[in-house]
Amino acid sequence: MTASETPDPVAQATDSAAEGTGPAPAVDAAAHPDALLQVRDVTKVYGSGHTAVTALAEATLAVEKGEFVALLGPSGSGKTTLISIIGGLLAPTSGSVTIGDTDVASLSRKQLTRFRAERVGFVFQSANLVPFLTARENLLYVAGLVGMTKSDSRARADQLLDELGLTDRARNLPEQLSGGERQRVAIGRALMNDPDLVLVDEPTAALDTALGRQVVQLLRREIKDRGKTGIMVTHDLRMVEYTDRVFEILDGHLTHVESPSALGH
Amino acid sequence: MNLATTEVKRAKLRFGLLTGAVALLVFLTLLLTTLSGALIGALVGALEGLKTDGLAYSDTARDNIAASRLPVDTVDAVAAVSGVAAAAGIGTLTTAAEVNGEAIDIQVFGVDSTGPGAPSGLTDGRLPENANEAAVDGGGVAIGDVIVLDPSGVELTVVGLLRGAQFNAIPTAYSDLATFEDIVTLSFPGLPFVPINAVAFDIAEGAQASEVIAAIESSVPGVRAYTRDDAVALIPGIDSITQSFGILVGLTFIIGIVVIGFFFLILTVQKLKSFTLLRAIGTTTGRLAITVSLQIAFVVILASIIAVGLVLLAVQGLNTGIPVTLEPITIVATVLAVLVFSLIAGLLSIRRIVRIDPASAVGAR
Ligand SMILES: Nc1ncnc2c1ncn2[C@@H]1O[C@H](COP(=O)(O)OP(=O)(O)O)[C@@H](O)[C@H]1O
Ligand SMILES: [Mg+2]
Repeated sequence: MTASETPDPVAQATDSAAEGTGPAPAVDAAAHPDALLQVRDVTKVYGSGHTAVTALAEATLAVEKGEFVALLGPSGSGKTTLISIIGGLLAPTSGSVTIGDTDVASLSRKQLTRFRAERVGFVFQSANLVPFLTARENLLYVAGLVGMTKSDSRARADQLLDELGLTDRARNLPEQLSGGERQRVAIGRALMNDPDLVLVDEPTAALDTALGRQVVQLLRREIKDRGKTGIMVTHDLRMVEYTDRVFEILDGHLTHVESPSALGH
Repeated sequence: MNLATTEVKRAKLRFGLLTGAVALLVFLTLLLTTLSGALIGALVGALEGLKTDGLAYSDTARDNIAASRLPVDTVDAVAAVSGVAAAAGIGTLTTAAEVNGEAIDIQVFGVDSTGPGAPSGLTDGRLPENANEAAVDGGGVAIGDVIVLDPSGVELTVVGLLRGAQFNAIPTAYSDLATFEDIVTLSFPGLPFVPINAVAFDIAEGAQASEVIAAIESSVPGVRAYTRDDAVALIPGIDSITQSFGILVGLTFIIGIVVIGFFFLILTVQKLKSFTLLRAIGTTTGRLAITVSLQIAFVVILASIIAVGLVLLAVQGLNTGIPVTLEPITIVATVLAVLVFSLIAGLLSIRRIVRIDPASAVGAR
């Protein structure tokens, strides 16, 4: 699939979400009873009364350990809301999220902080790095949160930076890095704590297509090589070809699970 | 990887300016404390420093030694009261003088150097033993200088230097009682008799101060007696002066602390995006609170060191006309108070950190 075949990826994402042919995620989830991540009937309503917005309606999905999946949908469809709930940043209005044995919704505020530090790696849509820390320090900071030894954390940070092609940029501050380099540092930061789950929100939004592909390829390689489980949020159909499965979301409803090839051809 | 120190290293200018501002605030507080302490000391130091348990004034003096007039034989009357171990007269007056070609105002005390009421705080030389000798605090005199009093023409040779022994915040000379009598007689010719101003008395071992004071007042007519500390506290105006300085120092301190608190709140608000990110990736609020507290402690301690240096320079460089000494206890107490209250003011920042919603790190909103 090339850019010329999909002149309007946003429009197409919306179309395919509406007209997809794959099974509903809830049906698919029933076929994965032992999946690492189980999201069941998660609803999120922002605000209350007149101003209530249902960002997510009874979302159900399952992701197996080692899978790298995409969450594809147009802007405002509830993608960020869903991964925020999965990652323990946001409490669902109803429903449950389990990662392995952990029921995320039942954790206290304190336990959630620890859960995020130890078991989740986030790459956010923007403002991913601490501006007064170098690339390497942004990684090392995470090691301090999970109590890694100094030598272990240095070795791990240097290895990640090397794999991400950032060895030369390790001592640069974020403001001295390009957008693509910053996203790669953020990916390294997300992997630094050896998380069970890597959650990535629109990693290519600020990048051109070529750079975007490069970053997503790297992301896939890191997740696959390390046997991590990854969810990448995107509204860009071109980026889903690097993932194993694609969950489509529209107006807060998970509609279909597709294989990337089914979407592209 | 320590967030607090790494940030300071990266933002040297910002933290440098902050430290400078805090240093000036600490400097101002320390200098005001020191100067007000010195001024109050110079006003009342003479009475505070007298080696005596108590003082007796005439009952018409309204607690003011300068307004008190007693006949010399009051000394014997007080000495005779049971519970009084020893008594000696004290005379004092303010007069003009010339020393080293310079005209000054000087407070002269006539005391018994070996009895109750002798001055303390000798830093050099000795107390007067003979007529026309004096131990002096202030006026820029050295041992061997001669002070010529005006209009009496009496000459006092400086034999000792005192510290913390001034009265009325002017140079103060201590001579013997006979010399004091000469000065008064020559200053006010035709005076029928030379009064003394007060009787200093020591309380016998085992006797109760309050009982002895009551006994003096009942058996010596026309006299009011005080412990030395009461006499100091009752010096006219000293209350309101002490209070005014207290308000001045207290307000400076409070304003300084509030400013420091706001400084750090601004720094925290500027960093909210980063703090939110750090919360989102699993940093506890406690860890962020410690980071801010460490930085406050670092800035305040560094600023205090600078401030103490500045105060030392200022005390040496400023010509205040009164003797100013920097007490280590004042420095330690002020710096500790600034540190503790700055950390409390830091709660403003920590409250803001506690209110961070880590979920707001996600998305572009
Ligand atoms: N904090 C919030 N308060 C109110 N509404 C919100 C909030 N966050 C998101 N929404 C709304 O929820 C819906 C889904 O948002 P979001 O999950 O950010 O979508 P996406 O990431 O797919 O663009 C949108 O309509 C958005 O306006
Ligand atoms: Mg989003």
